[in-house]
Amino acid sequence: MRTRAVLSSIFASLGVLVIGWQAGNAAVQSATTATSTTTPTTTTTGGSSGTSPSGTSTGSNTTTSTGTTTAAPVAPTTGATDGTYAGSTVNTRFGPVQVQVTISSGAITDVTALQLTNTDGRSVQISNYASPILAQEVLSSQSAQVSNVGGATYTSQAYLQSLQSALDQAGF
Amino acid sequence: MTTQAPAPTHQTTTRSRLPRINRRAQFARRARRADLLVTLLWASGAAAAALYLAYGGASQMTTVAGFITGLGILLGLVGTDFILVMLVLAARIPLLDRTIGHDRAVATHRRLGKPALYLILAHGVLLLIGYGMSTGFNPIAEIGPMLALPDMPLAFIGTGLLIAVVVTSLVAVRRKFSYEGWHLVHLLSYVAVAFALPHQLSVGGVLAEGTVQRVYWIALYVLAFGSILTFRFVEPIVATLRHGITVAGVTQIAPGVTSIHLKGSKLRSLGTAGGQFFIWRFWTPRTWWHSHPISLSAVPTDTTARITVRDLGAGSRRISSVPAGTRVSIEGPYGLFTDAARTAPKMAIVAAGVGVTPVRALLEHAIFAPGEATVLLRASSDDETYLWDEVRAIAAAKGARLYTMVGRRSPVGPSWMPEEDARRGVTLRSIFPDLGDSDLYLCGPTTWLDLVEADARALGLPEHQIHAERFDW
Repeated sequence: MRTRAVLSSIFASLGVLVIGWQAGNAAVQSATTATSTTTPTTTTTGGSSGTSPSGTSTGSNTTTSTGTTTAAPVAPTTGATDGTYAGSTVNTRFGPVQVQVTISSGAITDVTALQLTNTDGRSVQISNYASPILAQEVLSSQSAQVSNVGGATYTSQAYLQSLQSALDQAGF
Repeated sequence: MTTQAPAPTHQTTTRSRLPRINRRAQFARRARRADLLVTLLWASGAAAAALYLAYGGASQMTTVAGFITGLGILLGLVGTDFILVMLVLAARIPLLDRTIGHDRAVATHRRLGKPALYLILAHGVLLLIGYGMSTGFNPIAEIGPMLALPDMPLAFIGTGLLIAVVVTSLVAVRRKFSYEGWHLVHLLSYVAVAFALPHQLSVGGVLAEGTVQRVYWIALYVLAFGSILTFRFVEPIVATLRHGITVAGVTQIAPGVTSIHLKGSKLRSLGTAGGQFFIWRFWTPRTWWHSHPISLSAVPTDTTARITVRDLGAGSRRISSVPAGTRVSIEGPYGLFTDAARTAPKMAIVAAGVGVTPVRALLEHAIFAPGEATVLLRASSDDETYLWDEVRAIAAAKGARLYTMVGRRSPVGPSWMPEEDARRGVTLRSIFPDLGDSDLYLCGPTTWLDLVEADARALGLPEHQIHAERFDW
């Protein structure tokens, strides 16, 4: 009788775990396909900023930001219109992320998070810690091409993705 | 050893009136239920882990820090599941009691205690390491930001309480406490679970709306606290008020041993089986804070019941002098030291000292044909032959064979019997020739009982045919 209990416990537990594992994989897969559809926009905009060095050489436009940026080459911002733009809302498994960017005189002058990962206390803590770092990086690099903040991968990716969509609207 | 053989004249008349019960089939059904419960216990732990994985828990485990964090969360969930299962086991749910018995439920509850605490501690440590790694702090420095999270201070206090509960329950430590002191600390486990709940909601996010995980955890919490509330609080109060039990009188039947006669109403509807016990509380200023698990020493009638107690501690000494009219509150009936637990056609019953009390009720209640039950009563001296006259009378009326043994434990041979019998070559097998076909019921002091039980096991008697009731808490 005890053997039967032990065996059925093992099989039931394993069965439940496998089902959970499978369901988890399926959930992650659908999540990744969802994000991969949005990635093309990110790469194309990344490509356009990559071509910017040739643009600076022509020097058609005088931008105040050129002097302030140190490392990254700055886009000529030909089409950049001054104003405040809200990026698209990007959903993560820890909550939605939305960023608002302010363009002034053709340069990024302010980045504000409208929504940040907040499903639980830990997410809020991570958001509060990662958000200022990301904003700082964006202002200094004048682009959405900054590295993720360690320990805040989901938040960083969603943040930069939303930022990119806002920059696209501005024609930055 | 003296013998009382059953009167042969009863045989034909009684047998025809007995209902035929297939004990083995009955046991097989109960064993299936018990196995199902064991399976549910382990599967619930697995379900806690599986639900976490199902909502993408594994996808976080891609980095070292993420893996440690994820594992920490997983262990915390399994640990919480075990603690809730422990509450269910301690709730004295009638279905559980009928299936595995109060003893086994409590034994399982005890066995889960330490693993559950280790899982919770591992949960805390792994999350400190995991969070620390992702923010670049060492685990100790991470305690600060961790406490800054909402509800985390409460969770830390809850863990501390849990440690206190488990430590006071370690055998070596528990001996230093009175039952009441230990029980008071043990009640803190409710507080510990309650304190841990907020951080699961706010920090953990396992109860995010619209998930199966949420449904599972809410159901488990409701089951655990609901059964505690129902069966530990509401039902005893309702039974106490309904039956209105009071002390009818106290009689001393031997030095240090008293029978407490109780009266009440509709006692039959309690469905008490002979051999079961209640947890009694006598409402006098000196005794109300003590609760006593005591077996009935006779099957109750609709208006009367009786328990027989020996002065084993200060508490039981005080209740042996409660005045008539004292109000009594009850929890019960509990226990599988009954006819319902039988797995074989015959009965072999051994009782020592005041252990005779549930045996007296069991024999009265059990259904058996003449010759199918054999009883052995054991006492250290002639002063300790409590209720033996009553057992003799029942045995004679129902056709049970009765043996008695009086004397100190033997230094030779089977040491649970007196030296005289041991030297004569009496064995468990010679007293119970049909032992293999019998359920062995044992009741007496733990040290003595362990010896008889070991003897029975050595004879190859399977576990499920041994029913032991020990005097300890």
